[in-house]
Amino acid sequence: MVEGSDTYFLRPNHQLKFKPAIVKGYIREIVRERLSGVQYDPENVPELTLSLAESVKDKVKNAGFDRYKLVVQVLIGEQRGQGVKMSSRCLWDADTDNYAEDVFMNDSLFCVVAVFGSYYY
Amino acid sequence: MHSEKDKDNRDGHSRRREDDERKHRGGQSVERRHRDPVESRPERDKERDRRHGDSRDRQRKDGSHDRRGDKDRGRRDDEDRRKRADDGRDRRETAPGKEDLRERERHRDRHKDKEKERAKVKEKHPEEDRDKRREDREKERRREEQEREQRRERRRRDESDEVRRDPTGKLHREPRDRKHRGEHEDKRRDRDVQEDRRRTEDREYKEEVRRHKEERERRHKERRRHDETHKHDSASRERQDSKQSADDVRNSRGDRERTERDRHKERRKKEEETDIERSQKERGHREAEDKDVERNHRERSGSKKSSSGKSLTYEKREEDSNDEEVVSRQQTAGGKNGEEKAEKADLAEQEYEEDFEEYEEDFEDVEESADEGEDGPDVDDGKEGPTAQASKEIEAIRRAMAEENERAGSARSRHSAVREEREDKPGGSEGSERNQGETSRRGKFIDFVAAKQREVSQKVATRQKKRSTELLRLIDLDVTATFSLLDLPPVSEYEMYIKSFGNANAKQAYVQCNEDDTDRDVQTEEMEMCEKWTQHPPEYSGACGDPNPSQEARDKTSGELILDSQRLMSFLRSASQVMVVLLEEDQAERKSLRKLKTQKDSLSFSDGSLQLNAKLPFLLGRQISLVHFSPAQKHIMLSVHTPTATASAVRLDSCAVVCVWNIWEPSRPQQILVYGSEVQCCCFSPGKSSLVFAGTPVGSVVLWDLREHSSTHYRLRIGEDEWTFRHPTFSTDAVMCGSGHVSPVTSVEVVPSFAAGRLRPELPPLASEEESSGLSFQLASLDESGLLNFWVVVELPRGNEAGSPTDLGLRPGGKVKLLHSSSLLTVQRPSLREAAKTRPFQTLLLKYHPTDSNQFFIGTNLGLVSHGTSHGLKAPPQFYRFQEVDERTADVSAIHFSPFRPNLFLVGCADGSIRLHAVSHDRPLAEWMNSTAGEAVVSLQWAQTRPAVFCVFDAASNLHVWDMLKDDAQPVLTEKMTADRVTAMAVFGDSRQQNTYSGIALAHESGNIELRYFTQTLTVPSPAEEGKLESLLTEAF
Repeated sequence: MVEGSDTYFLRPNHQLKFKPAIVKGYIREIVRERLSGVQYDPENVPELTLSLAESVKDKVKNAGFDRYKLVVQVLIGEQRGQGVKMSSRCLWDADTDNYAEDVFMNDSLFCVVAVFGSYYY
Repeated sequence: MHSEKDKDNRDGHSRRREDDERKHRGGQSVERRHRDPVESRPERDKERDRRHGDSRDRQRKDGSHDRRGDKDRGRRDDEDRRKRADDGRDRRETAPGKEDLRERERHRDRHKDKEKERAKVKEKHPEEDRDKRREDREKERRREEQEREQRRERRRRDESDEVRRDPTGKLHREPRDRKHRGEHEDKRRDRDVQEDRRRTEDREYKEEVRRHKEERERRHKERRRHDETHKHDSASRERQDSKQSADDVRNSRGDRERTERDRHKERRKKEEETDIERSQKERGHREAEDKDVERNHRERSGSKKSSSGKSLTYEKREEDSNDEEVVSRQQTAGGKNGEEKAEKADLAEQEYEEDFEEYEEDFEDVEESADEGEDGPDVDDGKEGPTAQASKEIEAIRRAMAEENERAGSARSRHSAVREEREDKPGGSEGSERNQGETSRRGKFIDFVAAKQREVSQKVATRQKKRSTELLRLIDLDVTATFSLLDLPPVSEYEMYIKSFGNANAKQAYVQCNEDDTDRDVQTEEMEMCEKWTQHPPEYSGACGDPNPSQEARDKTSGELILDSQRLMSFLRSASQVMVVLLEEDQAERKSLRKLKTQKDSLSFSDGSLQLNAKLPFLLGRQISLVHFSPAQKHIMLSVHTPTATASAVRLDSCAVVCVWNIWEPSRPQQILVYGSEVQCCCFSPGKSSLVFAGTPVGSVVLWDLREHSSTHYRLRIGEDEWTFRHPTFSTDAVMCGSGHVSPVTSVEVVPSFAAGRLRPELPPLASEEESSGLSFQLASLDESGLLNFWVVVELPRGNEAGSPTDLGLRPGGKVKLLHSSSLLTVQRPSLREAAKTRPFQTLLLKYHPTDSNQFFIGTNLGLVSHGTSHGLKAPPQFYRFQEVDERTADVSAIHFSPFRPNLFLVGCADGSIRLHAVSHDRPLAEWMNSTAGEAVVSLQWAQTRPAVFCVFDAASNLHVWDMLKDDAQPVLTEKMTADRVTAMAVFGDSRQQNTYSGIALAHESGNIELRYFTQTLTVPSPAEEGKLESLLTEAF
């Protein structure tokens, strides 16, 4: 109601900025922990993706990237020697927003986890 | 009855009107509610009081007055509705009315259950308290909403007015829209509040005026209608009544009222046909409505019958309706609790929908407009706790009730007089039905929360929109390049194959090799090579061999030891020789001493003898043609054994054997030298007698190197002893065809290396000789044709085991060879001239002057000794002749220089004459013609220890010993050795003072070699002997 007096944080605090390296580390840690030795099973994979995404989200949330909206995308596919290409495009403020992704490969599956962090001004 | 009928009629009418009224009130109540906060507080309080009062009134008066008021109000509302329809707005506001109808129907169906109703009656009072509290909260909230609403309303109303007119009839028919619709209606009411508020001032006033008018008119009509309907229904009604108890009268009356009201409505509508606004549609609708009313009536009558039998009070009904409202509200707002109910309602609704299609068409646009704003408040509604929801509902109910009461109050205040006049019998059913209508209508207020939610969300949306616009001014958004999240190339066929099959017992290994590292092939098979050698004659260890393996093996096995062993061998060789010599000396001396005594008688000149052990298997049957002592090492002797004709065990028959003896080691020869043919003459190398030279009848000069190791020579094991037969180290046989001898070599002589004129006969020191000799000296060889060849003896630094390709005469491994240096034809013109007369001139013997290497003396077959020099001027006497005649055909068989006076030499001839010559005179100092009794002189030699003594050996095996000191005309003694003929003789002796010995070596025909020592008289020199020789020289010249 007092919109006129709104103030915006146009830039995040440097320490609270979305750091892809850290997030990537989280992703790697979680995915490795959860997927190492896991065989691809079409029955379980949907739940697995969801839970993976959830745990990655929680982990990144706790990392203290304030005022960041997170999008976690998890893809698990079976590895049968096929070629896969996956790419993303974003319309965002490149100064504040960033993304981190990590790929985990297994004998039977591959898993791509991408976390997009978008700053909330 | 009439009154009753009238009441019924009126009831029916009121009922019908109530419906309308309710429809109308859908807008009005909201209007009023929204107005609440604006209105004064006392008014609200009044309202509450009024409500309480109302309920009390109802309870008290059994609804008579109250109901009448209600009816009035209904009528008034009805008028109001019509008025609005005239205004064109009515259409909108009748929609809730229709809804109410349905609601009411539902209520009635559901609330037959008595017990439930009673229970709810009990709950009534606490509920009311709660309701009050909620109401307060609700009001506050509503106030806020109103403020918002006011703002929004301004722009939205314009929109909605336009949208309202869009016909979309389907929405309404769909049962699932029910809930929404309720919400729509709420919204619409909210919106209407604004409109209403604006209108209220004037409208209310007008309405009131109009209502008064209309009321009056209508009531006239109603009375008429009542009468008519009564006639129709009276019979059935009365029957009903008669059955029913007195208590039920009210209910039945309510029923009747209802039916009557319906009919009233019907009639009224017929009347209303006259109204200008009524379109053709409405007429159809009315007809349908007629049917509907009848149906309703049927239903209601059925329901009422059952319910009436249970003696329901109106009060209870009223409470029921309240409860019902809660339920209905839950249905509409939550939509979750009462789905069955909703279904029932739907069923009912469908029926109604047919009837109200036309109306609905009118309302559709309104609902649609409401639909537009409605987004997500449903969810929020659902999230609210059930208690909160319930409380809200209750609050809403209360509010509605309060409004109702207020309105009723106001209506009453306005129309009470009129109503009381006309409606003297207000039916309890009227109140109940009106309450039902109210409650059902209030169900739409439930959705107000959703509306609020939507409001909030819209507010948020606007805020966000504003926010975004503000932010976007500050922020640049850019489209990022495409991030490649995953790029997994397809697995190639090979990798797939390896993945699936490559793991079993196989491993992948990679090697990178040089591109230029190519293979090279050779098609031909590799040649096998090995080295062999062959040698003829096969002297040692076979005729052929494999040098490399044996060499290597030898090197390997003995390589380390060779150095030591070679030194050891050289040491042992020298040491063993010394030891052997010592031992044999000892033995021989004892033997000779013994023999001296025994053989004293046999040989007068000898006082002892030594037998050399020549009885060796390979020497058997050989004659000794020559015995020769080394001039330097006087104990070294060689004996030349001629080839034998008799076969022996040893295959050396055709070979001449030369044995090298050490006279102190008589048991066996030191070396055994072998040559393929006869050996004519021999000599030792000067100094240490390490080389032996020999001339052969075939014109070759050969040499043996005694230093060669015995292992490289042919070895033969005979009996227990092993003998080494040395073949010549070097031979001029084949090599020197151009420069060699073509006649039998008669003599080989080492050219003395002493300088000319040096005379040291008493000092033949070994040391000096050895020193000077070395191994580079000249050798002279003379053949019968008078050709004198000079050879240089060359020692090679190392021998070649495989044989030298250039020096073909050199034995493999040999180190010493002869190089032809020059040749000299010694026989000159005189000899040719004279020899031609008699017989071919022959040179038989070569002697060098012992102290002058330039002068040589050659004995010829003419009894002459020619004197020559190898280089430089010729020496004065060319020939040494006989005393009386120049020459005689007699071979010079021996020439020997005196070891004490080198310028004196003796010449022995084959005719038995002996001459003593001095070098400087061609005529002899002395000549003894018949000393040997005409026998040819074979050998003639001076004694080594006494200058005046010499020995002559003649062909008749007589040995003549001359001592010129005693007798210079004839030999002092002559020994005839006829038993075992002597074939060769050599004088030996050492003139050194400390160990003076002298003797003669006699080679017997049997092959024995006997060393005879001269007696003391012949050995020990006397001082007068030199003088004797001097006197002879002086006497002669």
